[in-house]
Amino acid sequence: MSILLNKDSKILIQGITGKEGQRQCESMLRDGANVVAGVTPGKGGQEVEGVPVYDTIAEATDAHGGFDATAVCVPPKFARGAAVEAIEAGIPLIQVFAEEVTTQDSVHILEKAKEKDIRILGPSALGIMVPGETKIGAVGLGKTNSPFSRGPIGVMSKSGGMTGEMSNTLTLAGIGQSTVVGMGGNQIVGTDFVDIMKLFNEDDETKGVLVFGEVGGTYEEKLAEYKKVTPDCKPIVIIVAGKFAGDLPTGTVLGHAGAIVSKGRGGYDSKVKALEDAGIIVAPTLDAVPDLIKEHIL
Amino acid sequence: MKLTEAEGKQLFQKHGIEVPYGVLIELGEEIPEVPLPGVVKAQVFFGDRKNAGLIQFIESQEDAQTSVQEMLGTEIKTEVVEKILVEEMVGGVEAEYYTSIIYDTDSRGPALLFTTDGGTGTDEASINPFSILSGPTREFITQVLTEQDVAEDEHERLIAIITKLWTLVTEEDATLAEINPLIKRSDGTFIAADAKVMLDDARYAPGERRFLKLDGDIGVLASGGGASMLCMDALLYYGGNPANYTEYSGNPPREVVAEMTKRVLARPNLKGLWVVGGFAGFTDIYETLSGFVEGLRQVEPKPTFPIVIRRDGPRREEAFEMLREVGEQEGFDFHLYGSEISMAESARILVEKINERTA
Repeated sequence: MSILLNKDSKILIQGITGKEGQRQCESMLRDGANVVAGVTPGKGGQEVEGVPVYDTIAEATDAHGGFDATAVCVPPKFARGAAVEAIEAGIPLIQVFAEEVTTQDSVHILEKAKEKDIRILGPSALGIMVPGETKIGAVGLGKTNSPFSRGPIGVMSKSGGMTGEMSNTLTLAGIGQSTVVGMGGNQIVGTDFVDIMKLFNEDDETKGVLVFGEVGGTYEEKLAEYKKVTPDCKPIVIIVAGKFAGDLPTGTVLGHAGAIVSKGRGGYDSKVKALEDAGIIVAPTLDAVPDLIKEHIL
Repeated sequence: MKLTEAEGKQLFQKHGIEVPYGVLIELGEEIPEVPLPGVVKAQVFFGDRKNAGLIQFIESQEDAQTSVQEMLGTEIKTEVVEKILVEEMVGGVEAEYYTSIIYDTDSRGPALLFTTDGGTGTDEASINPFSILSGPTREFITQVLTEQDVAEDEHERLIAIITKLWTLVTEEDATLAEINPLIKRSDGTFIAADAKVMLDDARYAPGERRFLKLDGDIGVLASGGGASMLCMDALLYYGGNPANYTEYSGNPPREVVAEMTKRVLARPNLKGLWVVGGFAGFTDIYETLSGFVEGLRQVEPKPTFPIVIRRDGPRREEAFEMLREVGEQEGFDFHLYGSEISMAESARILVEKINERTA
């Protein structure tokens, strides 16, 4: 089994007629996704890669029934409106791709979603890849040689680019992935490491999890706290990026909006200590990951 | 985007939060008449301004001259004092409180922080999450103040200030708005003696490319938000010392990469250059590396140190063919790698090449 999505999941793409939407649609179809409809206000009646386009989610729902997930592929300033439309339509999984959605808009989306018990992935989330089965978003976009292969390791990452790089490292070492999740590197995201880890723990196919974390925020610390109090939690190997920035002024923003130089909680040393105390394996480099996974998980 | 105290106080004023009267003096300006007795405050982000001599108390216009001249142009860590705020001394100080509104990662929403122990003891502040949909309601603020043992006759004024602070956060798209200290005067009124405001980069600086100067001797031109940070760590792991941190994501036009290349190569005393990124999904490797070559050609004197390039993705073959030709004809010491070796491995190779040269 996979988490979050499977081959039967009915997927909607919001902003499907835009450049990003078209590119993601093509790539999602290629990787097996069941993309049944798209939405762009004012573009109803068109088709993208054979997928019918509607003006609103309500119209798309009338024509196709409900959706299991939607990819929000609109520019940042429209992300809040698009996500709220999907929340109101009751789509249970909403992936928000846009970077540079303001914190205010992000929090607004999350609170609206919470009222309806809807899961938001992102903002700034690359998407979800279930190798050989389905995907949502821009994971593995445009690659001729896919870095993904199916197998027992769950992958979750704050960085979009690193989802491919980590999966490639695993694949080259003969280790496949059950589901790969790019959750976004903002300070506040809808689905964090703990949320995803809970799903991996319930998934029979997943034997252990590889994580890409970064300095800033407390999602790594929270994963450590969760691991500590969850006796049947599966083994975890993590890379934490941003050690180099330890001496930079507090508050300096690095590669992602949430990758903020911090002293104490949120800083590199605090994260590594919390993770190691919880029995999570911290890999010194990406190259060291396959051997660590073979030693501790497989 | 962090604002200076003076910029933050402008926003406070705009939203009706009282601040002391002050004048802002910029480098090269005449010193105007200043409020007396007053406080001279350098407009830098450095944390402990008081102990660094960047906050001084004055009694006369002459004192102001001396303090301002002493402070202007001072270097503190990576900053230079270019602006100075001279404010009236707040009289009748009875207590110093602390309050701020932040977006809290733990509760994934806004939170109100408050303590009556302002000034330095701000770790004591309680963190009180609230809903963005309702904002900090009267009842909510009252509850926080009560928990912090604030006398009831102060509640009305504090509710007004916190409500204004929230309006500032939402209207200006701030990610942090902090008043520390929030001074309580003997007449019962409150005044914001300092201001710390951060505005949301997503609104104010979208697409900004970060460039941080570091004290090492290896220039770094990296791609990808997460990959770039991981690469910096890998470089240190193999004993290299980066001269900068910078990163481009997406598919920037060649002029942008050329400018970034020049900026990296302007770092002093470089012994090597590392161009690195993960396996790109849609970044045009030929275009971006053409931009790199354009930038490289404009650098004087011509870099002769080892340049290790590890890139892969669309049009990589074309890009590497072009680089091999340029390297041979123009005498650059290029070492080209695709995804057959890891990013970290390319860091090790670069450090080794640099060590060979210096040995």
